[in-house]
Amino acid sequence: MWWYVGKRLLQTIPVILGATFIIYALVFLRPGDPIAGLFGEKPVNEGVKEQIEAQYNLDKPFLVQWLLFLKGAVTLDFGNSYTGRPVIDLVSQAFPVTITLALMALAIEMVLGIVAGTIAGLRRGGLFDSTMLVTSLIVIAVPIFVFGFVLQLIFGVKLGWVDPTVGGDWSVSKLILPAFVLGLVSFAYVLRLTRTSVAENLSTDHVRTARAKGLTQRQVVKNHVLRNSLIPVVTFLGVDLGALMAGAVVTESIFNIPGVGNLAYNAIKRGENPTVVSVVTIMVLVYVLASLLVDLLYAWLDPRIRYA
Amino acid sequence: MPEIAIRPGQERFVAPLEETPLQDVDSVDLSAAPESQWKEAWKRLRKSPLFWISGTLLVIIAIVVAFPGLFTSADPSYENLSDSLAPAREGHPLGFTQQGGDVWARTLYGARASVAVGVFATLFVTVVGVVTGAIAGFFGGWVDSLISRLSDIFFSIPLLLAAIVVISIINNIWPERQFWGSVFVVVGALALFAWPQITRQMRGAVLSVKSLEFVDAATAIGASRWKNLVRHIVPNAMAPVIVTATITLGVFIVAEATLSFLGLGLPRSSVVSWGNDIAAAQVLVRSGQHLEVMFVPATALAITVLAFILLGDAVREAFDPKARKK
Repeated sequence: MWWYVGKRLLQTIPVILGATFIIYALVFLRPGDPIAGLFGEKPVNEGVKEQIEAQYNLDKPFLVQWLLFLKGAVTLDFGNSYTGRPVIDLVSQAFPVTITLALMALAIEMVLGIVAGTIAGLRRGGLFDSTMLVTSLIVIAVPIFVFGFVLQLIFGVKLGWVDPTVGGDWSVSKLILPAFVLGLVSFAYVLRLTRTSVAENLSTDHVRTARAKGLTQRQVVKNHVLRNSLIPVVTFLGVDLGALMAGAVVTESIFNIPGVGNLAYNAIKRGENPTVVSVVTIMVLVYVLASLLVDLLYAWLDPRIRYA
Repeated sequence: MPEIAIRPGQERFVAPLEETPLQDVDSVDLSAAPESQWKEAWKRLRKSPLFWISGTLLVIIAIVVAFPGLFTSADPSYENLSDSLAPAREGHPLGFTQQGGDVWARTLYGARASVAVGVFATLFVTVVGVVTGAIAGFFGGWVDSLISRLSDIFFSIPLLLAAIVVISIINNIWPERQFWGSVFVVVGALALFAWPQITRQMRGAVLSVKSLEFVDAATAIGASRWKNLVRHIVPNAMAPVIVTATITLGVFIVAEATLSFLGLGLPRSSVVSWGNDIAAAQVLVRSGQHLEVMFVPATALAITVLAFILLGDAVREAFDPKARKK
C-alpha cells in the first residue's frame, strides 16, 4: 500500500515538471516586454529595467528561469508579481475561496447526482428517469454562464433569497448558489454515469444472489448495487475536482468571487506571468493529488483491487 | 429475421447471433456471412429513432451553416443603434439586439462559426488521438511510455485555463484576424489540450482488440504488423472513440461560447457567433429585461449541442446493444 503510494507520488513528478514547463514556455516565450508596461507612459530607464529584469530572472536563459521557478516552488516561494506583491500572498488569499467553492460544488453534484441517478437507474424508463435524462441533456447543452445569469436573476434579484454577488467578504452561505451553478454540468454527468452503472449492476449475478438470499430491496441496493456502481462515479469525481477549480473562472466572474479563477483570469489579461504560472501549477497539483486519492479509494470500494 | 439453420433433432429455441449470450444459444445462423462491426452497427442505427431525430436536426443545422441566406434577407453584421432592442417587425421576426442587429439573422449566420469550431476542433483531436493512441497501444514499450506520459502532462493542465492563456498570447501576436483565422485560433487553443482523452481511450481499445483471435488469424495468413494495425485493429477499436468524438463536438461548441463570454473567444468585430451574441446579451439578463435576446442564440446553441450528444448516444447503442437491453 505505502509502497504503491510512494510509486504513484514518484510518477507524478514528470507530470508536474512537464505541465509547468509547458505553461512556463507558453507564458514567457510570448513576444512583448513585461517590464515596459511597468513604466507606463514614462520613458524606460535602462538601469532600473536591468535591475527589475535581474529581480525576476528575466535576464537569464529560459531554461534557467524555469529551473529557478521550480526551485522556489518546492518551498512554496512563487516569487513576486510584477506589482511587487509575493505571489504566494495573492494565492493564499484566493485559494481558500475557490477550494471551498469547488468542494461545495463537488458535494452538491455528488449527493444530487448519485441520489437522482440511483432512483433513475432503478426505475429505468419511468417518469422520473425520463425527466432526469432530459434535464441532464439540457444542462449539458446550455453554456453554464447562461444558467449562472438566469439563476442569479431569479434567486438573487427577483426573489432576493441570496445575494446576487459575493464580493470581498465571502462566506459559505453566500457561495451556495455559485457552487450549485459550478456543479451543475458535472451533476448531469454524475447522474448519467450512476444511472447507467446502477442499471447495469441490477442484472448481474451477485445482485440476483442477494435477492435470492432474501435481502430487502434497500439492502440489495445499498450493499450490492450501489457499492459496485460507484466505482466509475468516483473516478469521475476525482478528475472533476481539478476541472471544477478551472471552471471557477466562469462562476467567479458571474458572481464576483475573489477566488483563484478570477486571479488567474486577471493575471492572464494583464500579462502577470509569475501569477499565471503559479496558479496553473497549483491547479495541476490539485488535479494530480485528487487522481491519486481516487486510486486509493478504489481499493476501498472494490476489494478485488489490491495495491502491492 | 434471417433464415436459421436448425440441425436435425433440434427443435428448441434458436436465437439470433447478435445480442445473445453464448450459453443461451443452441445454434447460430449459419447462412449469413459474419458482418463487420461497422455494418452491424449501421443496421441497428437505421432502426434507432434517436438516430433519425438527431440526424434530421443535424441536416437542418448543416443547411443553415451552408446557406444562412435562405432563411433571412437581413444582413447579420448591419447594426443600427436606433433599432436597439426594438421589437419584431416585418422582415425581422425576432426583434433586435442591444447594438441594433437583427436577432434572427445573427442567430442563423452565427451557426457557421460555432459549428466550425466544434467540427474542426473535434477533427483535430480525433486524428491526433487515434494516431497516438493506436501507436501507443499497438507497439507498447518506450513509445507507449512516451505517449502516455505526454498525454498525462497535457491532461493535467485545465483545458479552459490553458485555452485562455493560449488565446490571450495569440491576441498579442496576431490581433487583426479575419473569420477563419479567428476560428482556427480557438480550434487550436481547445484542441491543443483536449487530445489526451481520445489518446487514452484509443490506447485502451487497441490494447484489448490486439489480443483478440482475429488478429492472430490475420497474422497467420501473413498480414504484416502495419497491415494488421491499420486494416484490422484500428477499425475494430474505433467505436468508443467515435462516440466520444460526437459528444466532444458538442462540448467544444459550449467551450467556444464560454471563451466568448470571457472575452477571449472569437473577436466580436469580425465574427458573428452564438457565443458572442449570448455574451453580449449578459448585460440585459443582469437587469432582467429583454431575455429573448439571449434566449434565441442560446437555444440555437443548445439544440445543436443536443443533436450531437443524441447522435453520440445513438451510435453508442448501435455499437453496444447490450447496454440498451439491460
